[in-house]
Amino acid sequence: MNSDNIKYPFHLTTHPFQGFWDLKYERNTRIDLTISFFILLSLMVTNVLSNQYAGFIVNIYNPEEMNSLMEIVYVLIPVLFWCTANWSLTTLMDGEGKFVEIFIATCFALVPLVMINFPWIWLSNFISMQEAMFYYLSQSFAVIWFFFLIFVGNMTVHQYTPSKTVGTIVLTIIAMGFIAFLCLLFFSLIQQIIAFFSVIYQEIVFRY
Amino acid sequence: MYLIKKRYITLLTVIILAFGTGIPVVKASVDQRSYNYSYWADAVPAPPAYQAVRIIDGDRLGIEPLSEPNDFHVSTDRTIYVADTGNNRIIILNETFNVVDVIESFFIEESKETFSSPQGIFVNDEHHVFIADTGNNRVVHLDANFDLIKIVEQPESELLSDNFTFRPLKVAVDYAGRLFVMADGVFDGFMEFSVDGYFTTFIGANRVRVDPIEYLWKRFATREQRSQMVNYVPTEFTSLDVNQQGFLYATNVDNSDDVIKKINARGDDILRREGYFSPIGDVRYTETDGASRLIDISVADYEIYSVLDSRKGRIFTYNGDGHLLYVFGGIGNRLGEFHTPIAIERYDDYFLVLDRELGEITIFTATIYGQTLNEAVRSYEQGDEDLAHQLFEEVVNMNVNLEFAYTGIGKALLQQDQYEKAMHNFEQSLDQNNYSKAYLLYRNRLLRDHFTVIMSTILGAITIITIIVVYRKIAKRKRRVLVEQ
Repeated sequence: MNSDNIKYPFHLTTHPFQGFWDLKYERNTRIDLTISFFILLSLMVTNVLSNQYAGFIVNIYNPEEMNSLMEIVYVLIPVLFWCTANWSLTTLMDGEGKFVEIFIATCFALVPLVMINFPWIWLSNFISMQEAMFYYLSQSFAVIWFFFLIFVGNMTVHQYTPSKTVGTIVLTIIAMGFIAFLCLLFFSLIQQIIAFFSVIYQEIVFRY
Repeated sequence: MYLIKKRYITLLTVIILAFGTGIPVVKASVDQRSYNYSYWADAVPAPPAYQAVRIIDGDRLGIEPLSEPNDFHVSTDRTIYVADTGNNRIIILNETFNVVDVIESFFIEESKETFSSPQGIFVNDEHHVFIADTGNNRVVHLDANFDLIKIVEQPESELLSDNFTFRPLKVAVDYAGRLFVMADGVFDGFMEFSVDGYFTTFIGANRVRVDPIEYLWKRFATREQRSQMVNYVPTEFTSLDVNQQGFLYATNVDNSDDVIKKINARGDDILRREGYFSPIGDVRYTETDGASRLIDISVADYEIYSVLDSRKGRIFTYNGDGHLLYVFGGIGNRLGEFHTPIAIERYDDYFLVLDRELGEITIFTATIYGQTLNEAVRSYEQGDEDLAHQLFEEVVNMNVNLEFAYTGIGKALLQQDQYEKAMHNFEQSLDQNNYSKAYLLYRNRLLRDHFTVIMSTILGAITIITIIVVYRKIAKRKRRVLVEQ
């Protein structure tokens, strides 16, 4: 991977319209997919590390409830839900994006969350209560930037108008809720089926 | 052969001695009922702060058994005054818990008067006794020799409705002689009486709490329906006490964050709630058990106050900032447990609990842990940070789970300019504000101490960068000149 590929995510965050366009039409999908996974991984690492190592002023954690695996799940599940929901909707709504493109655009939009939060893990150890304001300010800034990139990315990938993009995003969030509900339903049904068969097995074993 | 045997025996002795000393001393009475709440609202074990030593009842005092006593009070000279409600009498015990006197009557200008189910009693610094003579609808004020000074009867005021009957339940008197009465069926707060016994005002009413769903129902209900519904009225108080400075401490059963109130002369609640949780008794409870029902409060020296939970029979003690110090007691049949606890009194390192149905008083004394903790809080409140530091260290050695004690240690260390250690202690007590203060001081000192190093590094870096930039420019120009040639 040459230095251009390393610089590209940062270039995209500062030039989103140009960046996402190139992402869709100009660049190699395979390389971008690799970068996407790398971004996803670094976001997981950032979240895990900030849970443990962010300064005491901004981070009180209960060691008994800390679970790094859950932090990974908290990143992975929303991204997957978002991509699935978005893809399912946009295929019906004349969107031009393929699933891979949606996934790549989403992952690239996560860059500000890593770029801003990662240095703050270290920096937050050297601030006082008054200076913690800057910490929270930049955290919110990162989230706003992320939302903006998601918006631009979605618009470019599907070649939508801005208003249609907003509509799609709202519908996507609703669809994510449906997916979560279906997943819960599925798992609870599976659980009951397993319980049913295990009870039958036990009955048989006790009888003979 | 003999030699070998002897050697074996020596070896055995050595082993036994070595291990024998290593066996930990089994601590007597590890009280599982004693606990505290951590920052994360988990109940964590704590050593018992108070232990029951004795029970006194009518038989042991050599008098008729107590019948439904409702209140008692300990005066400044450790004399105990018990309102024996069912027997219509006041029992006075000295500090060794022996009967000094039993008052059953007093005289109003030669005519003998008796009590009728007196429910509340208070004794002020001059040993004047104030008795809430509930059945007779009056408050009786006797002097130290139990001669009548005044009687406060049904007050007349436009603040009171016409069908109001004065049924005083509990009384308290501040240093200025103002009388505060908690009366039955009064929702406007405590009734305040002047020194002469005239009703002046209500003080410290509880706020009305509205259930949003019920409020919505009422909005849609017709006038007739509404009149059938229960009115919103503020909850009544359950008890009161007065501290040395004349602040009223009161409890109610509101199910909110302010079940304990410290009321100033204007009627405002000025209780400090800076602990990990508001002082409400149990932080964790099941839905079926319900929240703690605080029915009595006893405020001692240095802002320490204790409340009694009638549901679980537990006694919670807080310091002035609202940190939970310790919990003890319970419902049960063993010594140190109660059947229907109704009143508590706290003085020195003693704790008395009055049981209504059993008609007995349980006497608790502070354990070493309790004494040290009390003393630590007192010296901290007095501003003696060094002593507080030392005592809190001792407390923490006995109970690592007592998180707020680390704040006490940290503050003392901060005074001694030991910022790094202070920061560590504030981290233990999860106190971000104080940590921040300590950290700022620590950072300033660090920057000041290493000013020369830091500044020279920065200046050096700037110089080097400038040189490199300038050198590159020159090199570039030279190359260009070469190309042009």
